[in-house]
Amino acid sequence: MPIFFRPTNPGDIVGRICLTVSMAAALALPGCGRPASEPPLVAERESPSGQAATSPPPPVAERPAFAPPPLADLDRDAKWIDRPVKDALALLREQQAKETVACSVAEALALTNDSAAANAKILSALGRLPDDGQADLEARIDRHVAGDLGSTNPILISSAAEFDILGLTGFGLFSYDRLLEPFANAETVISWQTSADGLYDKVVLRDDLVWNDGEPITAHDIAFTYQVIMDPRVPVPAVRSGTDQMQSVHAYDTRTVVFFHKEPLATNVWNINFPVLPKHVYEKTWEEDPTLKDSPEHVKLEEKPVSGGPYEILSRKRGQEIVLRRRANWSTVKGRVVREEPYFKDIRFRIIEDPNTALLALKSGEIDEMILQPEQWTTQTVDDAFHRLNTKATAPEWVSFHFAWNIGSPFFADRRVRRAMSYAFDHDRMLEKICLGMYEPCAGNYPPDSWMASPKKLVPYKQDLDTAEALLDEAGWTDHDNDGIRDKEIDGRLVPFEFTVLVNQQPFRIAVCTLLKENLEQIGVIANVRPVEVTTLQEMMQKKSFQACFSGWGSGTDPDSSENIWKTGEMRNYCGYSNPEVDRLFTEGRRELDRGRRAEKYARIQEMLYEDQPYTWLFWRNSFYGFSKQLRGYVFSPRGPYHYSPGAGSLWKPRAE
Amino acid sequence: MERSHGFWAEAWRRYRCRPLAVGGLAFVGFLVVVAAFAPAIAGTKPVLCRYKGRLYAPCLGYFDRRLEPAIFTKDKFRGTYPRNLAAKDPESWALWPLFFQDPYRSVRNDEWPGRPENPAMDQGRPSWNNLFGTDQAGVDVLAKMVHGTTVALLVGFVSMGIAGTIGIVVGAVGGYFGGWIDTLTSRVTEIVMCVPTLVLILSIVAIIEKPTIWHTMAIIGFTGWTGIARLTRGEFLRLKSSEYVTAARAAGAGPLRIMLRHVLPNALAPILVPITFGIASAILTESGLSFLGFGPPPPSASWGSVLNGARSNLGMWWLVVFPGAAIFLTVLAYNLIGEGLQESTDPRLREARK
Repeated sequence: MPIFFRPTNPGDIVGRICLTVSMAAALALPGCGRPASEPPLVAERESPSGQAATSPPPPVAERPAFAPPPLADLDRDAKWIDRPVKDALALLREQQAKETVACSVAEALALTNDSAAANAKILSALGRLPDDGQADLEARIDRHVAGDLGSTNPILISSAAEFDILGLTGFGLFSYDRLLEPFANAETVISWQTSADGLYDKVVLRDDLVWNDGEPITAHDIAFTYQVIMDPRVPVPAVRSGTDQMQSVHAYDTRTVVFFHKEPLATNVWNINFPVLPKHVYEKTWEEDPTLKDSPEHVKLEEKPVSGGPYEILSRKRGQEIVLRRRANWSTVKGRVVREEPYFKDIRFRIIEDPNTALLALKSGEIDEMILQPEQWTTQTVDDAFHRLNTKATAPEWVSFHFAWNIGSPFFADRRVRRAMSYAFDHDRMLEKICLGMYEPCAGNYPPDSWMASPKKLVPYKQDLDTAEALLDEAGWTDHDNDGIRDKEIDGRLVPFEFTVLVNQQPFRIAVCTLLKENLEQIGVIANVRPVEVTTLQEMMQKKSFQACFSGWGSGTDPDSSENIWKTGEMRNYCGYSNPEVDRLFTEGRRELDRGRRAEKYARIQEMLYEDQPYTWLFWRNSFYGFSKQLRGYVFSPRGPYHYSPGAGSLWKPRAE
Repeated sequence: MERSHGFWAEAWRRYRCRPLAVGGLAFVGFLVVVAAFAPAIAGTKPVLCRYKGRLYAPCLGYFDRRLEPAIFTKDKFRGTYPRNLAAKDPESWALWPLFFQDPYRSVRNDEWPGRPENPAMDQGRPSWNNLFGTDQAGVDVLAKMVHGTTVALLVGFVSMGIAGTIGIVVGAVGGYFGGWIDTLTSRVTEIVMCVPTLVLILSIVAIIEKPTIWHTMAIIGFTGWTGIARLTRGEFLRLKSSEYVTAARAAGAGPLRIMLRHVLPNALAPILVPITFGIASAILTESGLSFLGFGPPPPSASWGSVLNGARSNLGMWWLVVFPGAAIFLTVLAYNLIGEGLQESTDPRLREARK
């Protein structure tokens, strides 16, 4: 299955990039409100910037007509280097054949997941792929999504739910595995080659690919989609950033497509990975209605999109459910079995916004899986009512949380003050009492076990109120007027050190901010915690009209994906951080093709950020999932159990005995 | 001949005969005492202490952070008094609150010599250390409720103070002058009636930079005066044609004097009744808002916010029972007072009950 990826995009392709704000909804009146605890998808998994994710369309004038050289010339000059073409499922099967199973399935199902050992056993025994004939190919899985789709059009996607569906219904050439290494998908691609200078990528498609309406899928569809995505009239929310790094995409025949890059960047492997539209369907309609949503034809397509992936949309009830049906002509084309059949006949996505309601549905067997909140994990999924039908599993995930200090505000311009904040915060207590020991400490922007992380094993600033006070004194914040609160003369006026921390309305997140408030009060600094609704928080961060805020990011698979958080003046650089050295290293890192030398640059960036503390990094959030006891085959990646390849495609249910 | 008691003395005499109404009044009185002495009842700051030769009352810091003597910040007490006092001045002594618990944070292990840290998550059942239990963060529920009393009372009094003032003025002007003024005030009243209070509060909370409990009170007050205005107008319409008003006018009294001196005192009794009921409903509104998470900013001590904590885990019954009972009893008390007032001041009801 294709997994689409936009590293430079804050959209949730990069996973649960979250301005971890939940939508406690402005109108949370009894009965009609959204709960404060489970963030619907915008909050949890979508970009913090929402609309800002729409990268500005390139001005038409800047795109001179591109004349692709003849393929013969290209083949002669390019010195093609073969790139990996893999079948993700086969690969996983191979890997699992080498692993030893920790315990039997029956044993694993009887376990309560209350220790790391139990968790490992559950994952080992239940996370396996089926042996031949073991899977029930007529089964249906009921999955949970926290919000409805905005659109079913492949190129208009931006929320996590849309990516979930598109991963199953969409056609794509590329994907990446559990370790987030990119490859071309053997189900759709014969070969993938990159030129020695890194400026071209050539892909040859398989000839046994059809859309669900029976039309063949060709290289022209890909070139056409690129053209539509790059048209400034089309409101593409997420997938344009990345494709805009390319110069052109050209189809030489029905099976050969070449991607032309502007520069040989390390991130080009991500830029060529975008969803594909059926040219024969949209060719005539998109010029008339570039919104792809409004015209009668497009409204019809929105209900029943033409699908190129293993599944098609069978029916859809808005706000309730989306049902996918396995395509007959995906695995069998012209009477020939050409691809492995996916494990489920039907996939039903139930839309339930409230996590408490969703948990009830899981307990009663209405849904087969859901993401659990930490508190649900510790207190509400430990009893027999939960274990009767379900089990649960957890794994580390590359999602980190932090306090962001707005460097543009008079309080936090001074690095000493930001470091004082980090020294004042009782990090250990947060991990132990609020995170209940379930999250790993976070000290910087890259996951400690990733290749780009600093080898210096950075650890979070440990609470040290004496150092914090000394730093504040040094920065001029002392109690001049003897009222117990630190202050400083700024422009002839005595400003007390009293600021507001924005946070989204979720009890867990508010608890973290409350601890900060308590700690700061001990050293004479007043922090007012202000819970706001998700959209307000996004807006205030974009406008930089905040002093401090609690938020989070999902790490991209490529370190370059955090460039627009740290480079001077970039879109997601909400705290206004600016360091010429960091800027330079990001630019160099993108151009450097050797992984070892790249890693050094990103490690250096992380170390500098650690010294400057524009964020006080808090913790890496694990993923917590509840699964039906009938479900098998869940394997976790740093982006959760679904958002990689095979991901959701490895789930199955055993045949009834 | 015995001298007449006057209207209010007579009403009070009758009110006293109603045990339920008196009980309501006593309960509100009790709440006032609790609110006024909250820092002395539950807190972690000494009510009174002698430190380095001088007397201080750090507990005032609970009312306003700036009232907490700066010397303790200077001497790096960092919010924990018991051990620091002894360590930094062996001569010192302190008078501690009744319950050593903080409404805004969990009491740490051994902060009070020999006492363990408050239990957190779903472990905080009521115990001898925490009579009403603790919430998920380990904050003592009793301390939260004691300090939350201030909010509950203030909300009622302030918002109905505002509503009463506006309602009486608008109603009095409209009812007394009549004509186009009456038409105008009546229409304004009807327009304000259409404004949904809850929605207005939610949008205001989203707009203002630092929403406090005072904003909530103000909005409840500014939208809740319509019933009072209508009642006042009715009373003024009735009374302005009575003989003593005509007499006053004949004696040359101006409209302001007539309204304040003659009509208002006689119209006041029936107006007080909706005001008391309004206090009860204001308390409910505030609790509802805190329950939904739109109350005072965290860490707040308010009854509704304790209830809010129970939303994610209904197994923690103590987060429901205690604040729920407090809200229920307070609202009941105000309603009993209102009813008592009504029955002891309205002569018709008085006759009917005989």
